[in-house]
Amino acid sequence: MVIDTRVCVGCSACVYACKQENSVPEGYCRDWVVQESGGEYPKLTMENRSERCQHCENAPCVTYCPTRASHYAEDGTVQINRSLCTGCKACMAACPYDARYVHPEGYVDKCSLCKHRIEQGLETACVSICPTGSLNLVDFNNMDEKTKELLKGKIVYRQKEHAGTEPSLQWISASNKPGA
Amino acid sequence: MLATAVNEIVSTKINPNVVPHLHIWEWHIPLYLFLGGLAGGLLVITSIMIVLKRKFGIGPRDQGDGCPCLAVRIGSVLSPTLLGIGMLFLFLDLAHPLYVWAFYTTIQPTSPMSAGSWILIAFFPLAILQAMLVNKRQLRSFNIELINKVIDWTENHMTIVALVNAHIGVGIGIYTGILLSFFSARPLWSSSILGMLFLVSGISSAAALMLLLAPEDEKPVYSMIDANAIWIELMTVGLFVLGGLTGSANTHGAMMHLITGDINLAGMSYMFWFWGIFIASGLVVPLLLEFLEAAGVHIKFPNVAPVMVLFGGLILRFLIVFAGQTYHTFM
Ligand code: SF4
Ligand code: SF4
Repeated sequence: MVIDTRVCVGCSACVYACKQENSVPEGYCRDWVVQESGGEYPKLTMENRSERCQHCENAPCVTYCPTRASHYAEDGTVQINRSLCTGCKACMAACPYDARYVHPEGYVDKCSLCKHRIEQGLETACVSICPTGSLNLVDFNNMDEKTKELLKGKIVYRQKEHAGTEPSLQWISASNKPGA
Repeated sequence: MLATAVNEIVSTKINPNVVPHLHIWEWHIPLYLFLGGLAGGLLVITSIMIVLKRKFGIGPRDQGDGCPCLAVRIGSVLSPTLLGIGMLFLFLDLAHPLYVWAFYTTIQPTSPMSAGSWILIAFFPLAILQAMLVNKRQLRSFNIELINKVIDWTENHMTIVALVNAHIGVGIGIYTGILLSFFSARPLWSSSILGMLFLVSGISSAAALMLLLAPEDEKPVYSMIDANAIWIELMTVGLFVLGGLTGSANTHGAMMHLITGDINLAGMSYMFWFWGIFIASGLVVPLLLEFLEAAGVHIKFPNVAPVMVLFGGLILRFLIVFAGQTYHTFM
Protein backbone atom coordinates (compact mmCIF):
# COMPACT_ATOMS: atom_id res chain seq x y z
CA MET A 1 0.00 0.00 0.00
CA VAL A 2 1.16 3.52 -0.75
CA ILE A 3 -0.32 6.21 1.47
CA ASP A 4 -0.11 9.69 0.10
CA THR A 5 -0.10 11.92 3.16
CA ARG A 6 -0.05 15.05 1.01
CA VAL A 7 -3.73 14.70 0.30
CA CYS A 8 -4.96 13.02 3.50
CA VAL A 9 -7.35 15.34 5.33
CA GLY A 10 -7.73 13.07 8.36
CA CYS A 11 -11.45 12.49 7.83
CA SER A 12 -11.32 8.91 9.20
CA ALA A 13 -13.56 7.55 6.46
CA CYS A 14 -11.11 4.65 6.12
CA VAL A 15 -11.55 3.82 9.79
CA TYR A 16 -15.33 3.70 9.59
CA ALA A 17 -15.39 1.83 6.29
CA CYS A 18 -13.13 -0.81 7.84
CA LYS A 19 -15.21 -1.05 10.97
CA GLN A 20 -18.31 -1.73 8.92
CA GLU A 21 -16.73 -4.04 6.37
CA ASN A 22 -14.96 -6.19 8.94
CA SER A 23 -17.48 -5.95 11.80
CA VAL A 24 -14.81 -4.49 14.07
CA PRO A 25 -16.32 -4.41 17.57
CA GLU A 26 -17.21 -1.12 19.16
CA GLY A 27 -14.26 0.51 20.90
CA TYR A 28 -11.69 -1.22 18.65
CA CYS A 29 -10.08 -0.42 15.32
CA ARG A 30 -8.01 -2.17 12.68
CA ASP A 31 -6.86 1.12 11.16
CA TRP A 32 -6.57 4.57 12.62
CA VAL A 33 -5.60 8.10 11.64
CA VAL A 34 -2.58 9.92 12.99
CA GLN A 35 -1.94 13.63 12.87
CA GLU A 36 1.66 14.58 13.42
CA SER A 37 2.59 18.22 13.75
CA GLY A 38 6.05 19.54 14.35
CA GLY A 39 8.61 22.17 13.64
CA GLU A 40 9.35 25.56 15.09
CA TYR A 41 6.86 28.38 15.12
CA PRO A 42 6.11 29.93 12.69
CA LYS A 43 7.49 27.17 10.46
CA LEU A 44 5.14 24.37 11.43
CA THR A 45 4.36 21.26 9.45
CA MET A 46 1.55 18.79 9.73
CA GLU A 47 1.01 15.33 8.32
CA ASN A 48 -2.18 13.29 8.40
CA ARG A 49 -1.92 9.63 7.69
CA SER A 50 -3.94 6.47 7.88
CA GLU A 51 -2.16 3.59 9.64
CA ARG A 52 -2.72 -0.16 10.02
CA CYS A 53 -0.84 -3.46 10.17
CA GLN A 54 2.19 -3.14 7.92
CA HIS A 55 2.01 -6.70 6.56
CA CYS A 56 5.70 -7.07 7.28
CA GLU A 57 7.76 -9.37 5.09
CA ASN A 58 9.78 -10.41 8.12
CA ALA A 59 6.94 -10.28 10.60
CA PRO A 60 7.80 -10.91 14.25
CA CYS A 61 4.14 -11.67 14.95
CA VAL A 62 4.44 -14.69 12.66
CA THR A 63 7.85 -15.68 14.00
CA TYR A 64 6.64 -15.72 17.61
CA CYS A 65 3.22 -17.23 17.12
CA PRO A 66 3.39 -20.65 18.79
CA THR A 67 0.46 -22.17 16.91
CA ARG A 68 0.86 -20.99 13.28
CA ALA A 69 -2.34 -18.97 13.73
CA SER A 70 -0.45 -15.90 12.51
CA HIS A 71 0.93 -16.77 9.10
CA TYR A 72 1.90 -15.45 5.69
CA ALA A 73 -0.81 -15.91 3.10
CA GLU A 74 0.14 -16.80 -0.46
CA ASP A 75 -0.30 -13.20 -1.56
CA GLY A 76 2.34 -12.13 1.00
CA THR A 77 -0.08 -10.55 3.46
CA VAL A 78 -0.01 -11.53 7.14
CA GLN A 79 -3.21 -13.26 8.24
CA ILE A 80 -4.60 -14.82 11.42
CA ASN A 81 -6.32 -18.19 11.51
CA ARG A 82 -8.92 -17.72 14.20
CA SER A 83 -9.47 -21.40 14.76
CA LEU A 84 -5.83 -21.82 15.83
CA CYS A 85 -5.43 -18.64 17.88
CA THR A 86 -5.16 -19.30 21.62
CA GLY A 87 -5.03 -15.62 22.52
CA CYS A 88 -1.60 -15.99 24.10
CA LYS A 89 -0.79 -12.45 22.89
CA ALA A 90 2.82 -13.21 21.99
CA CYS A 91 2.18 -11.59 18.61
CA MET A 92 0.97 -8.41 20.29
CA ALA A 93 4.12 -8.15 22.38
CA ALA A 94 6.17 -8.81 19.24
CA CYS A 95 4.61 -6.21 16.93
CA PRO A 96 6.64 -2.97 16.87
CA TYR A 97 3.65 -1.15 15.42
CA ASP A 98 1.05 -2.18 18.01
CA ALA A 99 -1.23 -3.08 15.15
CA ARG A 100 -3.13 -5.88 16.91
CA TYR A 101 -5.79 -6.20 19.57
CA VAL A 102 -7.59 -8.98 21.42
CA HIS A 103 -11.05 -9.40 19.95
CA PRO A 104 -13.71 -9.74 22.68
CA GLU A 105 -14.51 -13.17 21.21
CA GLY A 106 -11.09 -14.43 22.30
CA TYR A 107 -8.72 -14.24 19.36
CA VAL A 108 -6.24 -11.68 18.18
CA ASP A 109 -7.34 -9.50 15.31
CA LYS A 110 -5.86 -6.89 13.00
CA CYS A 111 -6.03 -5.54 9.45
CA SER A 112 -6.40 -8.39 6.95
CA LEU A 113 -5.93 -6.07 3.99
CA CYS A 114 -9.53 -7.07 3.21
CA LYS A 115 -8.36 -10.42 1.92
CA HIS A 116 -11.95 -11.44 1.22
CA ARG A 117 -12.47 -8.42 -1.02
CA ILE A 118 -9.15 -8.66 -2.84
CA GLU A 119 -9.95 -12.29 -3.68
CA GLN A 120 -13.06 -11.01 -5.40
CA GLY A 121 -11.05 -8.51 -7.39
CA LEU A 122 -12.19 -5.58 -5.23
CA GLU A 123 -10.08 -3.01 -3.43
CA THR A 124 -9.92 -2.86 0.35
CA ALA A 125 -12.77 -1.04 2.08
CA CYS A 126 -10.47 1.79 3.19
CA VAL A 127 -9.01 2.31 -0.30
CA SER A 128 -12.41 2.27 -1.94
CA ILE A 129 -13.85 4.90 0.38
CA CYS A 130 -10.94 7.34 0.68
CA PRO A 131 -12.35 10.61 -0.76
CA THR A 132 -8.97 12.15 -1.57
CA GLY A 133 -7.23 9.16 -3.12
CA SER A 134 -4.66 9.08 -0.33
CA LEU A 135 -4.80 5.30 -0.06
CA ASN A 136 -3.46 3.23 -2.95
CA LEU A 137 -3.33 -0.53 -3.11
CA VAL A 138 -0.02 -1.45 -4.72
CA ASP A 139 1.72 -4.69 -5.59
CA PHE A 140 5.33 -3.70 -5.04
CA ASN A 141 6.60 -6.70 -6.98
CA ASN A 142 4.61 -5.65 -9.97
CA MET A 143 4.23 -1.88 -9.90
CA ASP A 144 2.04 -0.25 -12.50
CA GLU A 145 2.82 2.99 -14.32
CA LYS A 146 0.39 5.01 -12.22
CA THR A 147 2.16 4.07 -9.00
CA LYS A 148 5.57 4.70 -10.46
CA GLU A 149 4.40 8.15 -11.47
CA LEU A 150 2.93 8.72 -8.01
CA LEU A 151 6.19 7.86 -6.25
CA LYS A 152 8.54 9.51 -8.72
CA GLY A 153 10.83 12.09 -7.18
CA LYS A 154 9.01 12.09 -3.84
CA ILE A 155 10.30 11.63 -0.35
CA VAL A 156 8.85 8.24 0.53
CA TYR A 157 9.38 6.53 3.87
CA ARG A 158 8.57 3.37 5.75
CA GLN A 159 7.97 3.38 9.50
CA LYS A 160 10.53 2.02 11.98
CA GLU A 161 12.52 0.38 9.22
CA HIS A 162 15.31 -0.20 11.74
CA ALA A 163 13.06 -2.65 13.56
CA GLY A 164 14.00 -4.96 10.72
CA THR A 165 10.50 -6.21 9.96
CA GLU A 166 10.45 -5.17 6.28
CA PRO A 167 7.10 -3.37 6.49
CA SER A 168 5.07 -3.27 3.27
CA LEU A 169 3.42 0.12 3.74
CA GLN A 170 4.99 3.19 2.22
CA TRP A 171 4.15 6.77 2.96
CA ILE A 172 4.60 9.71 0.63
CA SER A 173 5.72 12.34 3.10
CA ALA A 174 3.73 15.52 3.59
CA SER A 175 7.01 17.38 3.19
CA ASN A 176 6.54 16.85 -0.56
CA LYS A 177 3.78 19.46 -0.50
CA PRO A 178 4.66 22.68 -2.26
CA GLY A 179 5.74 25.26 0.31
CA ALA A 180 6.26 22.70 3.08
CA MET B 1 16.46 33.24 22.15
CA LEU B 2 16.37 29.52 21.51
CA ALA B 3 13.10 28.38 20.08
CA THR B 4 12.10 24.84 20.91
CA ALA B 5 10.95 22.55 18.17
CA VAL B 6 7.83 20.61 18.94
CA ASN B 7 6.55 17.32 17.69
CA GLU B 8 3.07 16.24 18.57
CA ILE B 9 1.28 13.10 17.53
CA VAL B 10 -2.45 12.67 17.86
CA SER B 11 -3.83 9.25 17.02
CA THR B 12 -7.37 7.92 16.80
CA LYS B 13 -6.24 4.41 17.78
CA ILE B 14 -8.52 3.29 20.60
CA ASN B 15 -7.79 -0.39 21.14
CA PRO B 16 -8.04 -1.25 24.83
CA ASN B 17 -4.89 -2.75 26.38
CA VAL B 18 -2.86 -1.42 23.45
CA VAL B 19 -3.17 2.33 24.02
CA PRO B 20 -2.01 4.32 25.90
CA HIS B 21 0.43 1.47 26.45
CA LEU B 22 0.47 -2.28 26.13
CA HIS B 23 -1.40 -4.05 28.89
CA ILE B 24 -1.79 -7.59 27.66
CA TRP B 25 -0.25 -9.47 30.56
CA GLU B 26 -1.49 -8.92 34.07
CA TRP B 27 -0.78 -10.79 37.28
CA HIS B 28 -1.03 -14.29 35.78
CA ILE B 29 2.14 -14.07 33.77
CA PRO B 30 4.47 -12.69 36.49
CA LEU B 31 3.10 -15.29 38.88
CA TYR B 32 3.65 -18.02 36.31
CA LEU B 33 7.20 -16.81 35.65
CA PHE B 34 7.89 -16.79 39.39
CA LEU B 35 6.49 -20.27 39.96
CA GLY B 36 8.27 -21.56 36.85
CA GLY B 37 11.57 -20.12 38.09
CA LEU B 38 10.96 -21.60 41.52
CA ALA B 39 10.17 -25.02 40.02
CA GLY B 40 13.30 -24.88 37.85
CA GLY B 41 15.43 -23.80 40.80
CA LEU B 42 14.04 -26.55 43.03
CA LEU B 43 14.75 -29.15 40.37
CA VAL B 44 18.31 -27.92 39.92
CA ILE B 45 19.07 -27.89 43.64
CA THR B 46 17.41 -31.20 44.49
CA SER B 47 19.01 -33.06 41.57
CA ILE B 48 22.45 -31.74 42.43
CA MET B 49 21.93 -32.66 46.08
CA ILE B 50 20.95 -36.17 45.05
CA VAL B 51 23.99 -36.65 42.82
CA LEU B 52 26.31 -35.22 45.48
CA LYS B 53 24.88 -37.54 48.10
CA ARG B 54 24.73 -40.67 46.00
CA LYS B 55 28.00 -40.33 44.15
CA PHE B 56 30.17 -38.50 46.60
CA GLY B 57 28.46 -38.89 49.95
CA ILE B 58 28.34 -35.12 50.39
CA GLY B 59 25.31 -33.45 52.00
CA PRO B 60 23.14 -33.54 55.09
CA ARG B 61 22.77 -36.84 56.90
CA ASP B 62 20.20 -38.99 55.14
CA GLN B 63 17.48 -41.03 56.72
CA GLY B 64 18.97 -44.37 55.96
CA ASP B 65 18.62 -46.60 52.90
CA GLY B 66 19.81 -43.89 50.54
CA CYS B 67 16.87 -41.59 51.13
CA PRO B 68 17.97 -37.99 50.90
CA CYS B 69 17.33 -35.41 53.53
CA LEU B 70 13.86 -34.03 54.21
CA ALA B 71 14.29 -30.76 52.30
CA VAL B 72 15.24 -32.64 49.12
CA ARG B 73 12.24 -34.89 49.51
CA ILE B 74 9.84 -31.97 49.90
CA GLY B 75 11.59 -29.89 47.26
CA SER B 76 11.37 -32.68 44.68
CA VAL B 77 7.62 -32.92 45.17
CA LEU B 78 7.10 -29.16 45.21
CA SER B 79 8.96 -28.61 41.95
CA PRO B 80 6.45 -30.26 39.56
CA THR B 81 3.56 -29.16 41.77
CA LEU B 82 4.49 -25.47 41.59
CA LEU B 83 5.10 -25.71 37.86
CA GLY B 84 1.66 -27.25 37.45
CA ILE B 85 0.09 -24.37 39.36
CA GLY B 86 2.10 -21.90 37.30
CA MET B 87 0.86 -23.48 34.08
CA LEU B 88 -2.67 -23.09 35.34
CA PHE B 89 -2.11 -19.33 35.53
CA LEU B 90 -0.62 -19.36 32.04
CA PHE B 91 -3.70 -21.19 30.84
CA LEU B 92 -6.00 -18.69 32.55
CA ASP B 93 -4.22 -15.83 30.80
CA LEU B 94 -5.12 -17.14 27.33
CA ALA B 95 -7.88 -15.16 25.65
CA HIS B 96 -9.19 -18.47 24.33
CA PRO B 97 -8.15 -21.13 26.86
CA LEU B 98 -10.11 -23.89 25.12
CA TYR B 99 -7.75 -23.67 22.16
CA VAL B 100 -4.77 -24.54 24.32
CA TRP B 101 -4.39 -27.79 22.34
CA ALA B 102 -3.23 -25.69 19.40
CA PHE B 103 0.14 -25.31 21.16
CA TYR B 104 0.65 -29.04 20.82
CA THR B 105 -0.20 -29.43 17.16
CA THR B 106 3.10 -27.96 16.02
CA ILE B 107 6.65 -27.16 17.02
CA GLN B 108 7.63 -23.62 16.05
CA PRO B 109 11.32 -23.36 16.83
CA THR B 110 11.38 -19.60 16.32
CA SER B 111 8.62 -19.03 18.84
CA PRO B 112 9.75 -19.02 22.47
CA MET B 113 6.15 -19.66 23.50
CA SER B 114 6.05 -22.80 21.40
CA ALA B 115 9.44 -24.04 22.59
CA GLY B 116 8.39 -23.23 26.14
CA SER B 117 5.11 -25.10 25.93
CA TRP B 118 7.07 -28.22 24.92
CA ILE B 119 9.76 -27.75 27.58
CA LEU B 120 6.99 -27.49 30.16
CA ILE B 121 5.66 -30.87 29.10
CA ALA B 122 9.13 -32.41 28.95
CA PHE B 123 9.69 -31.25 32.51
CA PHE B 124 7.12 -33.44 34.18
CA PRO B 125 8.00 -37.12 33.56
CA LEU B 126 11.53 -37.07 34.98
CA ALA B 127 10.72 -34.56 37.72
CA ILE B 128 7.92 -36.80 38.90
CA LEU B 129 10.15 -39.89 38.76
CA GLN B 130 12.69 -38.10 40.90
CA ALA B 131 10.02 -37.01 43.38
CA MET B 132 8.80 -40.60 43.58
CA LEU B 133 12.24 -42.03 44.11
CA VAL B 134 13.25 -39.75 46.95
CA ASN B 135 9.96 -40.52 48.66
CA LYS B 136 10.21 -44.23 47.94
CA ARG B 137 9.83 -45.35 51.52
CA GLN B 138 6.42 -43.75 51.83
CA LEU B 139 5.37 -44.92 48.37
CA ARG B 140 6.53 -48.49 48.84
CA SER B 141 4.35 -48.76 51.90
CA PHE B 142 1.30 -48.69 49.60
CA ASN B 143 2.69 -51.76 47.92
CA ILE B 144 1.37 -51.04 44.44
CA GLU B 145 3.24 -53.15 41.92
CA LEU B 146 3.46 -50.60 39.12
CA ILE B 147 4.77 -47.91 41.45
CA ASN B 148 7.32 -50.31 42.87
CA LYS B 149 8.51 -51.17 39.37
CA VAL B 150 8.82 -47.52 38.41
CA ILE B 151 10.79 -46.82 41.58
CA ASP B 152 13.09 -49.78 40.89
CA TRP B 153 13.78 -48.53 37.39
CA THR B 154 14.50 -45.01 38.62
CA GLU B 155 16.67 -46.39 41.42
CA ASN B 156 18.91 -47.98 38.78
CA HIS B 157 19.10 -44.84 36.69
CA MET B 158 19.05 -42.24 39.44
CA THR B 159 22.27 -40.45 38.59
CA ILE B 160 21.35 -40.00 34.98
CA VAL B 161 17.79 -38.93 35.84
CA ALA B 162 19.10 -36.36 38.30
CA LEU B 163 21.70 -35.06 35.86
CA VAL B 164 19.15 -34.66 33.09
CA ASN B 165 16.80 -33.00 35.57
CA ALA B 166 19.45 -30.51 36.61
CA HIS B 167 19.67 -29.44 32.96
CA ILE B 168 15.92 -29.32 32.45
CA GLY B 169 15.71 -27.17 35.59
CA VAL B 170 18.27 -24.76 34.16
CA GLY B 171 16.34 -24.79 30.88
CA ILE B 172 13.07 -23.87 32.58
CA GLY B 173 14.74 -21.13 34.61
CA ILE B 174 16.33 -19.56 31.56
CA TYR B 175 13.21 -20.02 29.48
CA THR B 176 11.14 -17.89 31.88
CA GLY B 177 13.42 -14.97 31.00
CA ILE B 178 13.95 -15.78 27.33
CA LEU B 179 10.19 -15.76 26.88
CA LEU B 180 10.34 -12.00 27.38
CA SER B 181 13.78 -11.21 26.04
CA PHE B 182 12.98 -12.30 22.47
CA PHE B 183 10.52 -9.43 22.08
CA SER B 184 12.69 -6.78 20.49
CA ALA B 185 9.61 -4.53 20.22
CA ARG B 186 9.69 -4.14 24.04
CA PRO B 187 12.93 -2.36 24.91
CA LEU B 188 13.08 -3.34 28.60
CA TRP B 189 12.71 -7.06 27.88
CA SER B 190 15.01 -7.15 24.92
CA SER B 191 18.09 -8.12 26.93
CA SER B 192 19.72 -11.52 26.63
CA ILE B 193 20.82 -11.45 30.26
CA LEU B 194 17.20 -11.56 31.40
CA GLY B 195 17.25 -15.36 31.00
CA MET B 196 20.26 -15.57 33.29
CA LEU B 197 18.71 -13.16 35.80
CA PHE B 198 15.50 -15.17 36.03
CA LEU B 199 17.47 -18.40 36.33
CA VAL B 200 19.60 -17.23 39.28
CA SER B 201 16.60 -15.56 40.84
CA GLY B 202 14.74 -18.88 40.51
CA ILE B 203 17.64 -20.68 42.18
CA SER B 204 17.91 -18.17 45.03
CA SER B 205 14.15 -18.32 45.59
CA ALA B 206 14.23 -22.13 45.52
CA ALA B 207 17.09 -22.21 48.03
CA ALA B 208 15.15 -19.81 50.24
CA LEU B 209 12.08 -22.02 50.07
CA MET B 210 14.13 -25.11 50.96
CA LEU B 211 15.73 -23.16 53.79
CA LEU B 212 12.26 -22.42 55.14
CA LEU B 213 11.18 -26.04 54.90
CA ALA B 214 14.38 -27.73 56.07
CA PRO B 215 14.71 -29.02 59.62
CA GLU B 216 17.23 -27.26 61.84
CA ASP B 217 20.19 -29.54 61.08
CA GLU B 218 19.80 -29.21 57.31
CA LYS B 219 19.40 -25.42 57.26
CA PRO B 220 23.08 -24.42 56.98
CA VAL B 221 23.42 -26.10 53.55
CA TYR B 222 20.51 -24.20 52.07
CA SER B 223 21.53 -20.98 53.70
CA MET B 224 24.89 -21.33 51.99
CA ILE B 225 23.36 -22.14 48.60
CA ASP B 226 21.00 -19.19 49.01
CA ALA B 227 23.75 -16.74 49.94
CA ASN B 228 25.81 -17.77 46.91
CA ALA B 229 22.85 -17.54 44.56
CA ILE B 230 21.94 -14.09 45.91
CA TRP B 231 25.48 -12.95 45.37
CA ILE B 232 25.43 -14.08 41.75
CA GLU B 233 21.98 -12.57 41.33
CA LEU B 234 23.23 -9.18 42.53
CA MET B 235 25.99 -9.32 39.91
CA THR B 236 23.55 -10.36 37.20
CA VAL B 237 21.03 -7.67 38.00
CA GLY B 238 23.89 -5.18 38.00
CA LEU B 239 24.82 -6.28 34.48
CA PHE B 240 21.19 -6.14 33.40
CA VAL B 241 20.90 -2.54 34.62
CA LEU B 242 24.25 -1.52 33.14
CA GLY B 243 23.43 -3.15 29.82
CA GLY B 244 20.22 -1.16 29.69
CA LEU B 245 21.74 2.15 30.72
CA THR B 246 24.60 1.95 28.25
CA GLY B 247 22.36 0.82 25.40
CA SER B 248 20.57 2.72 22.66
CA ALA B 249 17.97 5.40 23.42
CA ASN B 250 15.31 2.67 23.48
CA THR B 251 16.99 0.45 26.06
CA HIS B 252 18.37 3.32 28.09
CA GLY B 253 14.95 4.91 28.34
CA ALA B 254 13.36 1.60 29.27
CA MET B 255 15.88 0.94 32.03
CA MET B 256 15.40 4.44 33.44
CA HIS B 257 11.67 3.82 33.28
CA LEU B 258 12.22 0.84 35.58
CA ILE B 259 14.87 2.02 38.00
CA THR B 260 13.81 5.64 38.35
CA GLY B 261 10.23 5.26 37.18
CA ASP B 262 7.43 7.02 39.00
CA ILE B 263 4.68 4.79 37.63
CA ASN B 264 2.59 3.41 40.40
CA LEU B 265 2.40 -0.31 41.12
CA ALA B 266 0.10 -1.12 44.05
CA GLY B 267 0.66 2.24 45.70
CA MET B 268 4.42 2.52 45.19
CA SER B 269 6.59 3.76 42.35
CA TYR B 270 8.62 1.34 40.20
CA MET B 271 11.75 3.00 41.56
CA PHE B 272 10.85 2.22 45.13
CA TRP B 273 9.83 -1.36 44.35
CA PHE B 274 13.02 -1.95 42.43
CA TRP B 275 15.57 -0.48 44.85
CA GLY B 276 13.69 -0.76 48.12
CA ILE B 277 11.87 -4.06 47.83
CA PHE B 278 13.75 -6.09 45.23
CA ILE B 279 17.38 -4.99 45.63
CA ALA B 280 17.52 -3.95 49.31
CA SER B 281 15.01 -6.13 51.07
CA GLY B 282 15.00 -9.00 48.57
CA LEU B 283 18.75 -9.38 48.07
CA VAL B 284 21.10 -7.20 50.13
CA VAL B 285 19.49 -7.53 53.56
CA PRO B 286 18.92 -11.31 53.36
CA LEU B 287 22.48 -11.74 52.13
CA LEU B 288 23.74 -9.87 55.20
CA LEU B 289 21.44 -11.85 57.49
CA GLU B 290 22.60 -15.16 56.09
CA PHE B 291 26.20 -14.04 56.30
CA LEU B 292 25.72 -13.16 59.98
CA GLU B 293 24.02 -16.48 60.62
CA ALA B 294 26.92 -18.33 59.01
CA ALA B 295 29.37 -16.27 61.06
CA GLY B 296 27.66 -17.55 64.18
CA VAL B 297 25.65 -14.46 65.08
CA HIS B 298 22.31 -15.82 66.10
CA ILE B 299 19.34 -14.08 64.51
CA LYS B 300 16.10 -14.01 66.38
CA PHE B 301 13.81 -14.72 63.42
CA PRO B 302 15.80 -16.93 61.04
CA ASN B 303 12.85 -17.27 58.66
CA VAL B 304 12.82 -13.58 57.83
CA ALA B 305 15.67 -13.76 55.31
CA PRO B 306 14.21 -16.53 53.09
CA VAL B 307 10.77 -14.93 53.11
CA MET B 308 12.33 -11.67 51.96
CA VAL B 309 14.16 -13.45 49.15
CA LEU B 310 10.98 -15.14 47.97
CA PHE B 311 9.04 -11.90 48.04
CA GLY B 312 11.86 -10.13 46.19
CA GLY B 313 11.81 -12.82 43.49
CA LEU B 314 8.08 -12.41 43.04
CA ILE B 315 8.38 -8.63 42.82
CA LEU B 316 11.15 -8.90 40.23
CA ARG B 317 8.79 -10.77 37.87
CA PHE B 318 5.98 -8.27 38.43
CA LEU B 319 8.26 -5.30 37.88
CA ILE B 320 9.82 -6.61 34.69
CA VAL B 321 6.52 -7.75 33.17
CA PHE B 322 4.72 -4.51 34.04
CA ALA B 323 7.48 -1.99 33.35
CA GLY B 324 8.19 -3.69 30.02
CA GLN B 325 4.62 -2.99 28.99
CA THR B 326 4.20 0.53 30.36
CA TYR B 327 7.30 1.75 28.54
CA HIS B 328 6.67 2.77 24.95
CA THR B 329 7.10 0.38 22.05
CA PHE B 330 10.43 0.23 20.20
CA MET B 331 10.95 3.50 18.35
S1 SF4 C 1 2.70 -4.64 11.57
FE1 SF4 C 1 2.72 -5.95 13.37
S2 SF4 C 1 0.97 -7.27 13.10
FE2 SF4 C 1 1.37 -6.39 11.11
S3 SF4 C 1 2.73 -7.89 10.08
FE3 SF4 C 1 4.06 -6.35 11.07
S4 SF4 C 1 4.53 -7.25 13.05
FE4 SF4 C 1 2.75 -8.36 12.27
S1 SF4 D 1 -2.42 -14.66 20.21
FE1 SF4 D 1 -3.01 -16.08 18.55
S2 SF4 D 1 -2.05 -15.24 16.69
FE2 SF4 D 1 -1.11 -14.25 18.45
S3 SF4 D 1 0.74 -15.46 18.87
FE3 SF4 D 1 -0.87 -16.28 20.20
S4 SF4 D 1 -1.80 -17.94 19.02
FE4 SF4 D 1 -0.59 -16.71 17.56
